[in-house]
Amino acid sequence: MGRTITEKILGRTAEGPPVRARDNRAFRPDHMIAYDFPGYTDVMFRQMHDDFGITELDDPERYLVFIDHMLTRGDAKEEAVHQVTRDWCDFYGITLHEAEGIGHQVAAELGYALPGRFLIHFDGHISGLGAFGALGWGVRRDLLEAWVTGRIHLDVPESVRFELTGSFPEGVDNRDLIHTIIARLGADGCAHQVMEFTGPGARSMSIDRRQGLCGMAMFTGAVSAIFNPDELSLDYARKVSGAVPEPLYSDPDAVYAGVHEIDLSELEPQVVLPGSARGANTRGVSALKGTPVTKAFIGSCASGRLEDIRAAAQVLRGRRVSDGVQLNVVPTSAAIHRRAEEEGLLDVLRDAGAAVATSSCDFCFGYQKPLKAGENCVSTGVLNISGRMGDTGAHIYMGSAYTVAASAVTGEISDVREVTGP
Amino acid sequence: MSALPPPDTIEGRVAWIFGDDFDIDLVIGVENIKHYDPDVLRSVCMRHYDPAFADEVRPGDVVVGGRNFGYGHPHYPPMVALRNLGIAAVVAESFSPGFWRGETYNGMPLLTVPGITRAVRRWDRVSIDWRRPAVRLARQDAELTGEPLSERVVKVIEAGGSLNLLLAEHRRARATG
Repeated sequence: MGRTITEKILGRTAEGPPVRARDNRAFRPDHMIAYDFPGYTDVMFRQMHDDFGITELDDPERYLVFIDHMLTRGDAKEEAVHQVTRDWCDFYGITLHEAEGIGHQVAAELGYALPGRFLIHFDGHISGLGAFGALGWGVRRDLLEAWVTGRIHLDVPESVRFELTGSFPEGVDNRDLIHTIIARLGADGCAHQVMEFTGPGARSMSIDRRQGLCGMAMFTGAVSAIFNPDELSLDYARKVSGAVPEPLYSDPDAVYAGVHEIDLSELEPQVVLPGSARGANTRGVSALKGTPVTKAFIGSCASGRLEDIRAAAQVLRGRRVSDGVQLNVVPTSAAIHRRAEEEGLLDVLRDAGAAVATSSCDFCFGYQKPLKAGENCVSTGVLNISGRMGDTGAHIYMGSAYTVAASAVTGEISDVREVTGP
Repeated sequence: MSALPPPDTIEGRVAWIFGDDFDIDLVIGVENIKHYDPDVLRSVCMRHYDPAFADEVRPGDVVVGGRNFGYGHPHYPPMVALRNLGIAAVVAESFSPGFWRGETYNGMPLLTVPGITRAVRRWDRVSIDWRRPAVRLARQDAELTGEPLSERVVKVIEAGGSLNLLLAEHRRARATG
């Protein structure tokens, strides 16, 4: 009986016999990642030092910390938070990446997300690294177990396979795919499982699209999502790392909890109503057309990569952001920001009236330019619960970069295909 | 936020029955999800569902949930609020993975027991053998069984949370190492 790529990756990091779905075993992640945030990293470092008496790490290279939140006010409070993190990383000899972009993206750019690697984080959006044939798993406070013991106990998840055919039509992308999946299967449709994307449609997707898709896995209840490596992702791995490990692939006779077939060419733009990403909140864009918006946001660890910025520029070239709408664009990393600048994309956005900010997580969690009560925002952020981007009385609609850019142009939720014409 | 380990059998009542996809933040309201102060948490806990909840609940009582309990972007204070009032376990049709992981870490018994929402009414008496798990329903003189916890999770609950378990394991390793 064959094994899935997830079983193989986890098996690589466990002692003893081959692992199978539903086993509970201890695994040794290749990298154990965190971003600094009050109540998380400061607490974990203090526990590791004070409660566990650990003053030296055997393998500090397995630890990785990013400063990507709370970067935009420049006040004493955020500086104090970051200084605590800097001091701890210095003490333990842990590599710290500060203000280089959103860690879930920067980890890939720096060559940590190689095929077959197992990476954990307290934050679930680390699943985006599945684009590279790596397994990224958000384990919340169980990260502490890995930090202090080097290993983490996990139930080996079953996998559910998404056999994708076709390719995205004009104006449709990975956001529309994930929200379509949630609408069809429900918010627990893949509970405790790994989503595995296969087929010609999966191979047709760019790396950016794969990352954005995998990064949203948690909203189906999945613990992660993954693509089997192919030439595209192996090329990426070779570019960012001198030594690419032997890639792992699912066996043809691997066992899946279910298989779903989706033709990408049949997808339509989707918009998610304020409150949560649950299936019942997902609508085809036509159902919400005309809903007024005053704020628009393109960015986050799920959207904000080069392909998203290209999409926005395609919509905004020769058009203007509507009076009364503020469009904020935040490239997912500093490297993406540079590339977008070199391609002239950011000039297109600025000329259209958009504000382009340096890369961080700050818009997505309501820290930078928080929304006010009563405001409607259309967003590519990862979350639209009440209070997520500012006041609890603001309303966040989620969609793709195409949909957000088109809605920014008209001042109301719009179908990009109608805004840009045939 | 580690808890006292539960007794072998949790004896209490069903303090509330939630529906499917329940967002735990609603227990205290999204405007309060950053509070840890016990007085604040007590004053807002379940206020929108039953203003008398905090006064009526007794230690050992449990809450019951539908499918995908804890869905959303769960924060820790709502469960701190329920735990402060004495809620000893959550019994649900199924749990959202993020919630399950976060609260298991904190030592709360989260028991997946299919059929539970249809089987109970508010304030029914239940006795729960959380290790199996099995829920004894006094009113119907019946028993529902659920999905067994892994050995590791049993240890976590017995220790009153992951932090306690890891500390104990760490001390043992140091003593023998």
